[in-house]
Formats: sequence, structure tokens, C-alpha cells
Amino acid sequence: MEPIEIGIWVSAGMLVFVVLGMRVAFAAAMAGFVGLVWLRWNGFDYDPDRFWKAVTISVKIAGLTPHSKVSAQVLSLIPVFIMIGYLAYYAKLTTALFEACKRWFAWVPGGLAVSTVFATAGFAAVSGASVATAAVFARIAIPEMLKIGYNKQFAAGVVAAGGTLASLIPPSAILVIYAIIVEQDVGKLLLAGFIPGAFSAIVYAALIIGIAMAWKNVGPPVTGYTWRQRFESIPPASPIFAVVIIIIFFVYNPFGDAWGTPTEGGAVGAFIVFLMALWKGMRWTQLREALLDTAKLTVMIFTIIWGVLIYVRFLGFAELPDAFASWITSLDMAPLTILICILLAYAVLGMFMDAIGMLLLTLPVVYPAVMALNGGENVLAADSAFGMSGQMCAIWFGILVVKMAEFCLITPPIGLNCFVVAGVRDDLTVQDVFKGVTPFFLADGVTIALLVAFPSIVLWLPSLVG
Amino acid sequence: TEWNVSVWGKRRAFTEHVEKLAELVSEKTGGEFTMNVSYGGLSKNRENLDGISIGAFEMAQFCAGYHADKNRVVTVLELPFLGVENLEQERAVSKAVYSHPAAADEMAQWNAKLLMTSPMPQYNLVGTGDPRMTLEDFKGMRVRATGGLGRAFEAVGAVPTSVTATEAYQAMESGVVDTVAFAQHAHLSFGTINQAEWWTANLNPGTVNCPVVVNIDAYESLSDKEREALDSSVEESLDHYLANYGELLKKWDAVLEEKGVKKVEIAPEVIEEFRAAAAAPARDAWIADMEAQGLPGQELYDLVVKTLADTKAGN
Amino acid sequence: MAGSAAVLEDSSLLSKLDRMLLPIERFCALLSGLAIFSLMFLAAYSVTARKFFGAPMMGYVDYIEAAMPIIAIMGVSYVQRDGTHIRMDMLVSALKGRMLWLFELISVVMILILIVALTYGAWEHFDRSFDCARPLCSRDSSIDVGLPIWPSKLVVPIAFAVLVLRLLLQTWGYGRALVLGLESPVAVPLNLTVAEQAMLEAKALEGAD
Ligand code: NA
Ligand code: NA
Repeated sequence: MEPIEIGIWVSAGMLVFVVLGMRVAFAAAMAGFVGLVWLRWNGFDYDPDRFWKAVTISVKIAGLTPHSKVSAQVLSLIPVFIMIGYLAYYAKLTTALFEACKRWFAWVPGGLAVSTVFATAGFAAVSGASVATAAVFARIAIPEMLKIGYNKQFAAGVVAAGGTLASLIPPSAILVIYAIIVEQDVGKLLLAGFIPGAFSAIVYAALIIGIAMAWKNVGPPVTGYTWRQRFESIPPASPIFAVVIIIIFFVYNPFGDAWGTPTEGGAVGAFIVFLMALWKGMRWTQLREALLDTAKLTVMIFTIIWGVLIYVRFLGFAELPDAFASWITSLDMAPLTILICILLAYAVLGMFMDAIGMLLLTLPVVYPAVMALNGGENVLAADSAFGMSGQMCAIWFGILVVKMAEFCLITPPIGLNCFVVAGVRDDLTVQDVFKGVTPFFLADGVTIALLVAFPSIVLWLPSLVG
Repeated sequence: TEWNVSVWGKRRAFTEHVEKLAELVSEKTGGEFTMNVSYGGLSKNRENLDGISIGAFEMAQFCAGYHADKNRVVTVLELPFLGVENLEQERAVSKAVYSHPAAADEMAQWNAKLLMTSPMPQYNLVGTGDPRMTLEDFKGMRVRATGGLGRAFEAVGAVPTSVTATEAYQAMESGVVDTVAFAQHAHLSFGTINQAEWWTANLNPGTVNCPVVVNIDAYESLSDKEREALDSSVEESLDHYLANYGELLKKWDAVLEEKGVKKVEIAPEVIEEFRAAAAAPARDAWIADMEAQGLPGQELYDLVVKTLADTKAGN
Repeated sequence: MAGSAAVLEDSSLLSKLDRMLLPIERFCALLSGLAIFSLMFLAAYSVTARKFFGAPMMGYVDYIEAAMPIIAIMGVSYVQRDGTHIRMDMLVSALKGRMLWLFELISVVMILILIVALTYGAWEHFDRSFDCARPLCSRDSSIDVGLPIWPSKLVVPIAFAVLVLRLLLQTWGYGRALVLGLESPVAVPLNLTVAEQAMLEAKALEGAD
């Protein structure tokens, strides 16, 4: 049998087990392990005497992968970013941030909803996880909106959609994971997420203002805050700004003399939030809980990472990514059409799957194909299909895919953010939230279309840093 | 027979001998013996020796400085200021050490046989900011340098900082390191030359040693014809490598010009001072360390010195 | 965020063993958390030393790489205990009773076989880097400061061995549920719908506020 055929059979088998409910990380690792054995034994012409040799070699290859793959300095970004989110929660930064946004932005039509979007965007700048952001703001923002007569479905939709911003606006665990899988510069990818994230927030805000102006009872403005009150609201929320500024200094290199790596920026940010949490009364019991929660999410993510990388190791021996890439490039369709088909396939897959699992399982095969479509890893912008260099294409596709994955968090039937919002509020059903989030669903469609049509929205910032 | 070969990065001057070898054995055996060169698909570079030991693939490249304790013997070739002047000399001293029984023994523990080296020019520095012209300037310098080279810079007060080759560009850009020691081809392919403001033309502090090894079982199970094709292609592949690298070195000055990188000549007395501070202590420490572990440290070092002298005399 | 499910307890031997293993798993996970916490201080220290005192920390990258297996893998069994490792539960959430326990059992047994194999492979990886005839038993060292790598490699088989114990208990738990046709068995994560899971998660956050 050809290695590629084995690659296809094993990949199909893995998908079956994922659908049957096996934990994604272990399904991928098992597929990788079985695939390695099969490939090796195939190489031995299925000689029964050499079956155990094939198994032994494969066990050793698979067994060294977890240690080998997690021992990388860049990966230390993930736990640090996750920890900031948990510590920020104990530092009560979320409430302070919402209060500040309210005092500054609530005077526009649909003011509280707009404030909520900006507060989620602000929290996104310290939090790496979308679902956590939605859960937190469902409790802070929805009651306030209901108090002044907002439509409850709409209020719920705002929070569910706002939560998705956390994965585009850096820090973002999912962008880091993408960067690692495709071996691209983490700093540049995080940088690239900033404008599309802010852009999404602005599209949401514009949409809310439009809706509020069209239907008067949807969201009245909140006025009457004095400038004094506005400025007073800033200090309690300031650690967030401090963290954002620090991360800017570390990642974005604004004055040509950067301070260090994104991990170091994250660590210094986490340290500040930690001091703040201490000041707000966090003690060892809470810290232990925060550390356990951080560890739990971290380990869950890393288990998928090493599990999938065992599968990727097998793919490397089976040469499947190369084969898929050459198949994609041989298709008689415009590259952009193929790219749009790929994104649509992600939309469908994302309806049923968790974002991280979905990206990790598919990227090893899809990413090389997209790169080949553009003309290869090292192609120059002038010779490429999408009008951008290989490195830029990697960044652009990353942002598109992550935006797609976030989009899936608010689409039925498994829009995790919507479930979380409904879970927090006893007076809301999942159907209510899906109904309320529909306009944002359309807004995201528009955003993605714009990001596809105008790649410079994504690529302008990273191109500035060379 | 089909062999999997594990290297890393992308195809570059540093991997040309492997590509040439694959081409030659296939030609000589009429396509019976082929090699599949994989750039990072089969293993991480620091685990290539593990992969050979397991039998995951049949041939691989690695650098001694990545994991000195895995390959103590060949690290003799990474001692600072050995006085190697060009790739021919590097090739000769590597070959001599690889043929020493101590080297073969240690590699045999990994089920590996040393096939050939990947001769590297001296690892000169590129840097940002003002050029560092004196030993005083080296104090506190964050330099990307591995193995013996790292320890040489450490001896004069610099701080070696290991980022992988692929991260070197970003590390330089973000200020994690302010200087990077690489061979010319790596300054080009990892983009550090684009960040640099200066390059030291004559510091010549030493280099890394990156052998290509084969799995012993796989080597022994080759047919006589295949083994003969492999063995006879080694020198030819290295010739090709040197010629190819020579072309690159010829273009080097033009590259510096184009990128606006200043070519810095360090004063000979500064180099002498550096050598005195770094070379003798590093050598003595290395020899003592090896002898304590029952390895012929002195003998290996003498072998390098003698081979180098003979090669220079031969020229 | 990962949704965790409830694990029921009673006075049976299985549940006792489950509760005996839990503190060990919690301890491992806490090690993971503390390693992350130390990473924060290490990075903050390193950047301060470099930026303000011109004295970068030697071997900073080596130390982080050595800590990563603790951070990434030590808590793997704690996460398996309450079913936090993500999966697609479209199908299993529609199943009930024996059919459900059968699917869960198959899945857990396969994971068990996989992890036993990986434990052996990870041990071999450790073993290749470990040789007590040498200084510090080291046959593999880090790139900058020559740190022995075997302790960090040893973390993986240890964490996997704990996971093997957990998977044995879960195999027993699901097997028992299958044979006896139990409604809500002990010592296994009970399958919740996504909505129920979200509810639990939201409640957990509330408690922490
Ligand atoms: Na974020
Ligand atoms: Na969905």
C-alpha cells in the first residue's frame, strides 16, 4: 500500500473516533500511533516476525513526542496568557472595566450595548479565552441592560458576540497555537490580530448604534456622567491599560527598541495583575484555585497539542500534507474560490466542533495546501496568487481561520458562547440567545468578507515591523 | 531500499551535501536506493540522534553543541579559536576526529555511524547598535551562540542566549539578543543579516560541528552495491558542498553592501586578548572534563592540532 | 474554557480508590500551576535584569524549557478525572444507559492502551538521556548552560503512570455501569449536555467572584 493511502485511512479512522466521542487529544495521538505502526509494518511487507519491531519503533517515536514538543520556549506564552485572565478575574478588573466603558461610551444610541462591546474588547486585551469572557460579562452587563429596558434577547446577543473578540485581540491562546502549528512568528500573528479584532468591535458597535436608531426601544442612551466621574472610573481599571501598554511595548516594538519577547510581556502583565489581585484581597486559597484552574486549561490545551503532534509526526512519514497540497493546487479553480470553499468548510465543521480541536486537527493538512495555493512558503508577493508573500499569507490565513472559529462560537447548533450566556442567566433560553445574536452573525459575515477582500486590514500592522 | 533522512529548516547551503548524496546514490544504483530528505517533518533537530537510535529514520544531521552530553567526543571540534581558516581545513579535522575510535564508540551507543561533516565557516557576529570592538564591549552582550562558542563569549563577560536558529531573527528584533553568531549562509537564510548593522570579518572565534550520521543497522543491511554507492558518494557530495558554499562566500561582500551592513575588522591585539581569555581555559577545561570521564581528551585535541597543521602544510 | 462534569461518590471500593487517587492528581496539577506561577516570576526577573541592570540571566531559555513538561503534562490525569479533555459529544450526549456506557468503555480502553504504550515510549526517551556512569547521570544536556535533561524527561512517564491508574479506574467504572446497567455510576465523569455543562461552568465562576 502507498503511504498516502495509509494516511487517508488513518485520518478517516481518527475522524470516526472523534465523532464517536473519544477525547480529541487521545483520538489524534492514537491515530498517529496506529498510523506509525501501520506505515512501518507496511514497509516490512507485513512480515509477521517484524510486527513487534514495527510496534517498538512506533512506540518510541510516539513516546518521545510529548516531551520533545512541549519543551519549547515559545509555548510558555499559552499558560502565561491563561493565567492573566484568571488573575484579572480575582482582581475584579472586569467590573471596573465595564464601569469605565459605561461612563465614557453609554451616551450614544444603544449606549450600554456599545459599552459592553468595548468592555469585552478591553477585557480581550488581557484574556486569551472567548468563553470565559462571555461568561463574565453575561453577569455584569446583561442585568444593567435589562434594568433600563433593553430587549433581553438583544442584550444576550451582545454579550455572546462580544465574547468572541478575546481570541482575535491579543493575547490569544488560539493564535499562539496556530503560530506554533504552522511554525510562524508568534509576535507577528498576535500583532496581526489586533486590527481585525478592533475592527470587529467597531463593526459590532456600528451595528448596535444602527439598530438602536432604527428601533427606538431597543437601547436608550445613558447620559448624565460628568467628566469628573469619567476620569474617576479610570484608575480602578488601569491595570488593564498597564497590561495592554506593556504588551504593546513587548510585542509591537513601537519605538524601535523593544523590551523582550511576548512571553516576557505576558509575564510582566500577569505580575501586575497578580499584585492587583493581592491588593483586592486574593489569598492563598483563591490563588490555589486560580492556579488549579490555569493548570487545568493549560494541560487540556497542551494535551491536544502533543496528541495532535503525534498524528502530525505520522503525517510527516506518510507524506499526506504534500499530497493534499498538490491535489489542491491541481484543481481547476481560481485560488480565491478554493480559499473561500476552505473557509466555508471551516464554518460547517465549526458548527459541531470546538475551535481549538478543529484547528489542530485540520491545519497540518490544510495549511500547507493554502500555502501551496499562494505559491509556496517562500513566494514573493509579486509571484503569488493572493498578492502577498508566503509569510504574510500564513498570517492572513491564520487570522481568517481564527475569525472563522470565533464565528462558530455564536452559530447554532453548538455555539458555545450562546450556551454559556444562557447558562449564566436563568431567564434566558439558548434559543433566546441565538435569536439575539443573529445580527452579529451577519456582522461577522461582513467582517470576514472584508478581511478576505482587503487583506491589508490584517497585514498592515505586521508589515510595519518588517 | 528507501531511506528517510531527517534534517531541518529549509534547503540551503548547509544541506546541499545531503541533497547531492541522495542524488548520487540514486544515480549509481539506477534508482534502487533512494533517499527521502525531510526538512523537519520527521523529528525536531535536537531529537535527530534519538530518532537514529530508535530506528525512526536511517540518516540525519545534527549539531554537536545542541546536546554536548549526547556527543562529548565531537565537541572537541567546537572548541574556540582552533585556528581553522577555511572549509577545506574544517573538513579535514572533522574527518580525522570522526575516524577516531572514541568518536565511533560514542556514536555507536546511539546506533549511529558518522558519515560526513557539514563544514561550516567561522561563526562571525552580526550585531545591532555600535560595533563591539574591544573586550570591554563584550561585557553584558547578549549573544546567540551555542556550545563551545557560547562558552568562549561567556569567558569574556558576554551572556550566551540560546534561541533556536529559526527564532534568531525575532530574538534580535525584540532585543532578546543583540548579537548573533552564525555562518554566512545562516545569516542569510534566517534573516539576521537584515537586522544587522555590522558584521565582524575577522573575529573567527570558532564554529559548530554538525555531522551527518546513518543508522548502523540500516547501513549494514544495505546490499554491497548500495553500500558501495553510498560510501563512494561521500567525498563527491562534500566537494559539491564546498563548491556551492564557495559561490556563496564570493557573493558575501555584495550582500553586506546591499543590506547596508558595516564590515568590521577587529584589531589583532583584541583578538589575541580574546583568544588568551577564552581558548586556553576552554581547552584545558574540556580536556580535564573528558579525561575525568575516561575519554581520551588530550589525544583528541592533539589529533585536531596535528591534522590542522598537516592540512595547512599540505596547502 | 473547558467544561468539567460531575463525578459521583459513594462508599464502594471503586469510589474509595477514586478518592484516594484524586489528591495525588490534584497535587500534580498544583505542581503544574506553581510552575506557571514561577514562570511569571522568572520572566519578570529576567526582563528586569536585562532591561534595567544590563545583566541578562544565564540559561533563561534552558530553565523555561526544562519547566515546560511540568506545566504542560503533569496535570494530565487531573484533567481526565472529571472529563475536561475536550471531545465532540453530539453523539454520546444522545445516548443513554448501557449503550452510552459501552461507547464510553470502548473509548477509555483504547485510551488506556495508548497511554500504556506512550508511558513505555516516554520512559525509553528518559532512559536514553540517563546514564549514571556519567557526571549528574546525564547523557543529554541543554544547549546554553548544559543542564541535564533527564529530570524533565522523567516528568512525562510519571504523569502518564498516574493517568494509567486513572484510566484503570474509569475502565472499571464504565465496565461496572455496563454490566449492572447503572443509571448514574460513581468514579466516572457523567456525561452532561453542552447546556448543562455551560450552566455548571457559569455557576463555578459565580462562586469565585
Ligand atoms: Na485576547
Ligand atoms: Na457553532
